[in-house]
Amino acid sequence: MTNSEQIGLNKTWELSLYELHRTPQEVITDNTEIAVSPRSLHSELMCPICLDMLKKTMTTKECLHRFCSECIITALRSGNKECPTCRKKLVSKRSLRADPNFDLLISKIYPSRDEYEAHQEKVLAKLNKVHSREAFVQSINEGIKLQSQNRAPRGRKPNETVTSEQPGEPQPAPENNTTNQTPTTTPLNNTIPSSPAPSGRSTPCDPPSPVSSSVSSIKRRPKSVLTSEKSEESDSTAQTEQTDTDGEGPSEPHTLNEIELVFKPHPTEMSGDNPLVKALKENSIRYIKTTANATVDHLHKYLAMRLTLDLDSQLSASHSLLNFCIYISPSAGQYVQLNGNQTLGQVNDKYWKENKPLEMYYSWKKT
Amino acid sequence: MAQNENPLYEQQPTAAATVLTVEKDGDTVARAQNDGHAVTKRLHKELMFLMTSPDKSISAFPDGENLFKWIGTISGPQDSVYESLKFKLSFHFPNSYPYTAPVVKFITPCFHPNIDTSGNICLDILKDKWSALYDVRTILLSIQALLGEPNVDSPLNALAAMKWTKKEEYKKLVMSTYNQA
Repeated sequence: MTNSEQIGLNKTWELSLYELHRTPQEVITDNTEIAVSPRSLHSELMCPICLDMLKKTMTTKECLHRFCSECIITALRSGNKECPTCRKKLVSKRSLRADPNFDLLISKIYPSRDEYEAHQEKVLAKLNKVHSREAFVQSINEGIKLQSQNRAPRGRKPNETVTSEQPGEPQPAPENNTTNQTPTTTPLNNTIPSSPAPSGRSTPCDPPSPVSSSVSSIKRRPKSVLTSEKSEESDSTAQTEQTDTDGEGPSEPHTLNEIELVFKPHPTEMSGDNPLVKALKENSIRYIKTTANATVDHLHKYLAMRLTLDLDSQLSASHSLLNFCIYISPSAGQYVQLNGNQTLGQVNDKYWKENKPLEMYYSWKKT
Repeated sequence: MAQNENPLYEQQPTAAATVLTVEKDGDTVARAQNDGHAVTKRLHKELMFLMTSPDKSISAFPDGENLFKWIGTISGPQDSVYESLKFKLSFHFPNSYPYTAPVVKFITPCFHPNIDTSGNICLDILKDKWSALYDVRTILLSIQALLGEPNVDSPLNALAAMKWTKKEEYKKLVMSTYNQA
């Protein structure tokens, strides 16, 4: 405390260069308005004890720190007789004074305090939900990590699969010109050829990429990796890695808006002798990750196009690939056909509800 | 009593204050009991701030469904013998929180002058220097700092206090204690 003693004796202040040279802020005399976001004011208007907005503000007389009346009184009764913020001695309630001006200021900034509080409650309730969900995701991820450790020796496998999955010869253009009908904002976005990662990791592409461009990229793609969509044989590893990537950011809200789905041929409609199933062989099961607001229609178009590419010239051009039906199986043996305009998020909420990739089925009929 | 960790505050002689705290504690608990909502609300807010905080060296999360019990982790401070070690701690919040401090203990065994073998921590801000302004984040940061700068004058673990100056030996003891986990 030598400093304050000096001040007491000599009445001089040691000023830093900044303090010596700074000029006072100009007073605003015209009608200039300065916008301040409520967020930046938050720390000023918040009681540091309850972390809520100040209620019946009390200010400490000497150190000028603000608290809710209730908070500071409880704090003084229960703890040391000092300012919770700076430990300046506070002898009693008389070291505090009410600060109605500050209350007025707050009511000017937040005229409807109830509304603000209701909003806060909502945010907290949401957080609460996320918190339990996150705990769940966390435990799953831990399990997966252990699993993938055991699987380490097979780690190279996805690579081989990926290479073999690549079309060997140049692809014919999609027969039915789906490209032209595709809306440019189709949110099936799992085909950006940006990751040359040899590990087979996916780049969870955030911007919705027009399918038309992804079609051409699929054709050209020499080494791009599609973790989000793999043939069956790399199934287990691919899925592990995919979930793992998600697990890296459990707190990122965007993961909640993404949906993973497994797409299988309809077990009865698409039995072994179906020409499409025959032609697709192991490619008939698809693993897709996309945004939850993609619709069944989007899926439909994507599937038609993707299969056209994979089928290569094996399936003659006379087959139209647009005659797909998409189903979901809410319980074993039961298949519900889905309407085109439902989003995947809706489908998930309505039929699936489980915390694992959505399973869907497709069937295809010759025209 | 360890007088570490008060980056924000000046130290003050507190013998009298300590006595006062002890006397008042029972009273506080009783009165704050019916104020459960405020406590949950504050804990929720803390959780929200922690989850959006960019600090990677500390973390904390409620332990299961009970919001009054949390598990926290800290990484040993850089350039200390504890560097690259991760410690788990348990938090137990009383109903009078934040007016009284939570009970914080090490779960991971930690060889340190101010931490005893059952994980109790001797840290002033968790005792008489508690202020309602402290929260989970500042507690974790304080304990993290305590790891790097122990107070060897008031040890809970006398051996650790004795060995503190002999870095090689100390490090070995830290590692063997840590590996008990």
